[in-house]
Amino acid sequence: MSSQSLGKTFTAGLWDSNPVLRLLLGMCPTLAVTAAMKPALTMGLSVIFVLVCSNIVVSLMRNLLKPHLRILMFTLTIATFVTIADLYLKAFLPDMSAALGPYIPLIIVNCIIIGRAEACASKSGVLVSIVDALGMGAGFTLALCLLATIRELLATGKLFETPVMPSWFTPWAGMGMPVGAFVTLGLILALVSVITNKSKS
Amino acid sequence: MSNKIKFFFQESWLLMVSSVVFGLLLAITDAAWKPRIEQNTIDRFNRLAGGLLTEAERFESVAAEPLAIEIGGKEIPVDVKRGLDGSGQTAGWAFVCEGSGFADKIRLVVAVDAAFEKMAGFGVLFSNETPGFGDKINITPAAGGFYQPQFIGAPVGTLTLTKSGDAAVIDAEIVAISGATVSSQAVVTTLNAWMVPIKEKLKAEGLLK
Repeated sequence: MSSQSLGKTFTAGLWDSNPVLRLLLGMCPTLAVTAAMKPALTMGLSVIFVLVCSNIVVSLMRNLLKPHLRILMFTLTIATFVTIADLYLKAFLPDMSAALGPYIPLIIVNCIIIGRAEACASKSGVLVSIVDALGMGAGFTLALCLLATIRELLATGKLFETPVMPSWFTPWAGMGMPVGAFVTLGLILALVSVITNKSKS
Repeated sequence: MSNKIKFFFQESWLLMVSSVVFGLLLAITDAAWKPRIEQNTIDRFNRLAGGLLTEAERFESVAAEPLAIEIGGKEIPVDVKRGLDGSGQTAGWAFVCEGSGFADKIRLVVAVDAAFEKMAGFGVLFSNETPGFGDKINITPAAGGFYQPQFIGAPVGTLTLTKSGDAAVIDAEIVAISGATVSSQAVVTTLNAWMVPIKEKLKAEGLLK
């Protein structure tokens, strides 16, 4: 595969097939962990790790997979790497692990990962699968960070827990709550839709 | 019969091999990081309990096995720790307790004085209360919290929650966080459910006079 097609595979995850903004996949962590940048970034990096590892394994075993057992195999593979990511956070970033609570183990049921295993890794070589995982993971992480930037700024006046808003700014507590996640995501999706429609026309 | 067994292995060998390989991978990872994870848990407890019982230099479990204590009709294993000062004397007691919050469970580190008469305070080990409202139970006295300081010096016994009152007066009456009555009540209910049975168990075991 040429480097141009690999580049296209990577960039597809960033915009055209962005899992959050275009495919509306992985909504649970998108809404749940974007109240601040640190958990959003940690979640994004964890998903990239799981996505890359599971895509590599699924791609390597793609010729051995029995059609009726493939979902079971995908789940087994994904669960293994999610558990490793969870243990890593508990060992090396315990405060972040506590803050993310059940959302790291819930990566197991994240549609992005099983979706890429089914749509790409089970049909492609290892290199393409890695590039696809990196593109999709980066797209997911960027979308989470975009949401978290807006929410953390408006909810606390801070970014990465560092005050950045002027002293007269009054924090909007609602932006740190689930309602803030839904409203912000809705507005971002509307904006993405407008941009897409304009570029099409 | 042999054809059936052959068919079974033909279909499922990859699943079985993968299960063994992934299981081994997880076992190795767990074995490598488990001591660190356990240490993190101990450090977090010591940090919270040490912040409450400032005279305590170290914490030691009162028994090799957690004490079985009847709380809310259930027998629960509780690892009660004794806080020891520099001379090895008991500076107080600390334990982890758990109750139902507004959205999720809340897990608290509770510290009491050496006589188990007055609270030294509580710290939040885990909570998932509403940001901006219920999560104010997490704000420590050092960070200007309104709720947690009311428990420093509060009597061990039945605490009650009130919506209005003087939060500066230290007694069994705890003033709720405005807009977070459920979370405020959850902490009070949890402490009421755990503190007295633990005190009685320590007395029964001869660990407390």
